[in-house]
Amino acid sequence: MLDVFRAEDIRNLVFLPDTVMGRLLALAEADPFFRLVGVHREEEAVGIVTGLFLGGQRGAMLIQSSGLGNTLNALGSLAMAYRIPFPLLVSLRGELGEFNPAQLHMGRAVPGCLDALTIRHVTLSSETDLAKLVSGALKTCFTAEEPFGVLLSALLTGWKPEK
Amino acid sequence: MQRLDATGVVVELAGNSPIVGGVGNSTFDLIPFDRPANFYMWNSMGMASSIALGLALARPDLRVVVLDGDGSILMNLGSLATEISSGVTNLVHVIWDNGGWEITGGQPAGSPFGVDLEVVARGCGFVRTATVDDLEAFRAVFAEAMADDQAWLIVGRISPGDSPYRPSKNCVWLRDRFSAALLPQANGNAKP
Repeated sequence: MLDVFRAEDIRNLVFLPDTVMGRLLALAEADPFFRLVGVHREEEAVGIVTGLFLGGQRGAMLIQSSGLGNTLNALGSLAMAYRIPFPLLVSLRGELGEFNPAQLHMGRAVPGCLDALTIRHVTLSSETDLAKLVSGALKTCFTAEEPFGVLLSALLTGWKPEK
Repeated sequence: MQRLDATGVVVELAGNSPIVGGVGNSTFDLIPFDRPANFYMWNSMGMASSIALGLALARPDLRVVVLDGDGSILMNLGSLATEISSGVTNLVHVIWDNGGWEITGGQPAGSPFGVDLEVVARGCGFVRTATVDDLEAFRAVFAEAMADDQAWLIVGRISPGDSPYRPSKNCVWLRDRFSAALLPQANGNAKP
């Protein structure tokens, strides 16, 4: 994933962590190519990647499915209206292996929310073809000048042993 | 202090620095002082501070100005903490405080109930802050902020009054004009 980001010159990873993204962020933090920018509510990240783009730099958003719910108006009225391209990485809760009842509904709503905003997305379910899918998503993202959802399934990332 | 007069002072003293306008009157009163290095939001209330932060991260060679509203920053107070935790020093964050949501009919919010946005900013870690309510005091503190090398937050208390001005409604054109104005070769966008 990080190699594909590097190939597309995406240096800025704007994030609100969960345990899945934490693993990716730990790898990125050890790599001086990447700059990590932590936010306190996911909507901020839409504004920050917009500002980065206006200033000539590319960024990606790394959030959890629950956090996507905090971004919807900014995605529609800023990123889509002003055509700001960035990968929108979302780790999916609520689909497989979920122990937390309060994660089910927002997690399951993620593809529908993106569809409603006409934001394209792919779901990564295994390491097979992962680099090809992410690379293709990024290419289309910057061609279309729009956000592009890259959804990380629990089939790829695993789930917590908690019952 | 009238927001239009204070906005004129901002543009006058900003030099080539980019200015991000928050949704509504903060953007609308920039229109009489229109320039390519102004960015105008049409919605996404609350996002002005975050856009300015991203721009400040991308362009450490520029001092980035954001004109926010009190209602807007109250929607995104966490961004004040993010401005500090990100470590940027090239940001001048101005909040126009008219004590409420003026454009929707003047419903009170924030300062009429005792909310002190300068204190909030200091609590988030801003060291350079001010609250001013007259134009000459605003001019002095904004000039100091632009000449400094630290992040600033200025609360400007303004009188009521909706702005009659409007920007272009072509968002992509607004985007492209702003980005082009910030290209290093555009006009020698050095720190003023």
